[in-house]
Amino acid sequence: MDENSSARLKRRLLDIVYRIGLFLAMLTICLPGLWIVLSSLRPTVEIMAKPPVWIPQEVSFDAYVAMFSGIGKGGIPVIEYFRNSLIISVTSTVIAVAIGMAGGYAFARYRFRGKSGVFLGLMLTRTVPGIALSLPLFFLYVRLGVIDTHFGLILAYIALNVPFTIWLIDGFFRQVPKDLAEAAQIDGCTRWQAFWQVEFPLAGPGIASAAIFAFLTCWNEFALASQLTRSVSAKTLPVGLLDYTAEFTIDWRGMCALAVVMIIPALTLTFIVQKHLVGGLTSGAVKG
Amino acid sequence: MKGFKPSAPFLLLLPAIIVLAAVVVVPLILSLYSSFTPFRLTKPETFFVFIGFRNYLSILSNTDFWWAFGRTVLLLTIALNLEMLLGLGLAMLVEKATRGQRILRTLMMFPMMFSPILVGFQFKFMFNDNIGLVNNALQSLGITREAIPWLIEGHLAFIAISVAEIWSSTAIFAILILAGLLAMPKEPIEAARVDGCTPWQTFRYVTWPFVMPFAYIAMTIRSLDVARAYDIVKIMTDGGPAGRTELLWTLVARTAYSDGRMGMANAMAYFSILLSIAFTVYFFNKLAAARTQIGAEW
Repeated sequence: MDENSSARLKRRLLDIVYRIGLFLAMLTICLPGLWIVLSSLRPTVEIMAKPPVWIPQEVSFDAYVAMFSGIGKGGIPVIEYFRNSLIISVTSTVIAVAIGMAGGYAFARYRFRGKSGVFLGLMLTRTVPGIALSLPLFFLYVRLGVIDTHFGLILAYIALNVPFTIWLIDGFFRQVPKDLAEAAQIDGCTRWQAFWQVEFPLAGPGIASAAIFAFLTCWNEFALASQLTRSVSAKTLPVGLLDYTAEFTIDWRGMCALAVVMIIPALTLTFIVQKHLVGGLTSGAVKG
Repeated sequence: MKGFKPSAPFLLLLPAIIVLAAVVVVPLILSLYSSFTPFRLTKPETFFVFIGFRNYLSILSNTDFWWAFGRTVLLLTIALNLEMLLGLGLAMLVEKATRGQRILRTLMMFPMMFSPILVGFQFKFMFNDNIGLVNNALQSLGITREAIPWLIEGHLAFIAISVAEIWSSTAIFAILILAGLLAMPKEPIEAARVDGCTPWQTFRYVTWPFVMPFAYIAMTIRSLDVARAYDIVKIMTDGGPAGRTELLWTLVARTAYSDGRMGMANAMAYFSILLSIAFTVYFFNKLAAARTQIGAEW
């Protein structure tokens, strides 16, 4: 009996330790983000206060109002940045996914010589650090006159995303059984029709996740954007974040507010795709 | 329909190859060429002066560069290993949860949604010596009276940057390893338990080999953009104080855009490209090896 109860006690203790561990881990993950949101909603006085004010005494949306009220009123041209970010991200995502679908289909459905070599080669182009790539691109873009334009950044982002969309979409096409398309072809579809009417709808959700992933990469990219854009006409939100830092001072509250504006679309989109994303990345894990 | 008829996969891959050639390969060839010139942005004519390996030779004797190089490798080693360990731990914690696993999984992915630049800014805010969350908490709890100069002292700044880097990327490991744990068949674990394995043995010889390919996928993905750290460092310390947190990438950016020495910067950039490629190829091979091992055993 004694042994029994001590075992039960031990199990309960382990359970409590486990719960505390889980709680602490989740706290560490979420706290930095929550702190940003909280800071964007409190007056600057509270952020600067010594000793620190932990619980906001008053909630104000001043930072957001100031941000959207334009230059000169303590704001930055956030609407222009938002528009640039949106145009650049959407356009490059659409094109990258189209290219990625063609490439991914080729990897998933055909056998050809040097397949894994080509795959690795495509991946390697992605390893070039943004900042290293920005040097020759900067030089070329100045020569071609596309520096500080939407077009320049869109082109760069397509190249940035293509390897990864190919990887993801390859995984999604592999999950669609080959027999289905073959059956459709026997029933009289051309390969083209079989693709659009059978394989594409089945891989659709996966491709949508690849698109969202590509979108987020563009939305968040900084190293290239910071060198290839200069003015309001092409600067994206991540680069705009730097507008809040002066030589020695930083408008923390304003930055927090812009951070929240940047994170909301990312948050929503990631939430939508999370399930498919993991499936696509790991589909080749166990059976290559 | 006679003559040359390209195969279907070639045609399908053509757009990808064209784009990557135009935006990555050709510029890289250009930058390789310019790494052999004393090219400066302010003096366009220097683009056509060929100086052989002089840039590379001066890099070899440049102690700042080697410090940055060593620091980059150190940061990557520390960060990738800790991310792997923490990600594994986190995945196992979440896998054990009986209720609310979906919510936990979503929370776990939270840091993935932050762009590196936001991570940098957020931790710059938190590690601020005067108003940062970390110092405020430490002082309120009475652990220290002094404000700890997190981003002002060299070693502390390096730690702060590592924390930011690890916070932002552990999620990728956790989510992929969790996918592995969930996809794993339960019979081998039960069999191991019946055969009298300790929990550690079960983990080491049954769970881990199965999860390994998933961990290497995470590693490969991470190594595809290890240079994300540039954004974080650029925002948090910009290589300071006095170059104590300078990484390869920030050094390249500084040499190219602040000093305008493009030729030299391109030569340095090649070192960082080779470093990234080495990481990727290494993990890609590990991934292939881990896959075949599982294929053989299961």
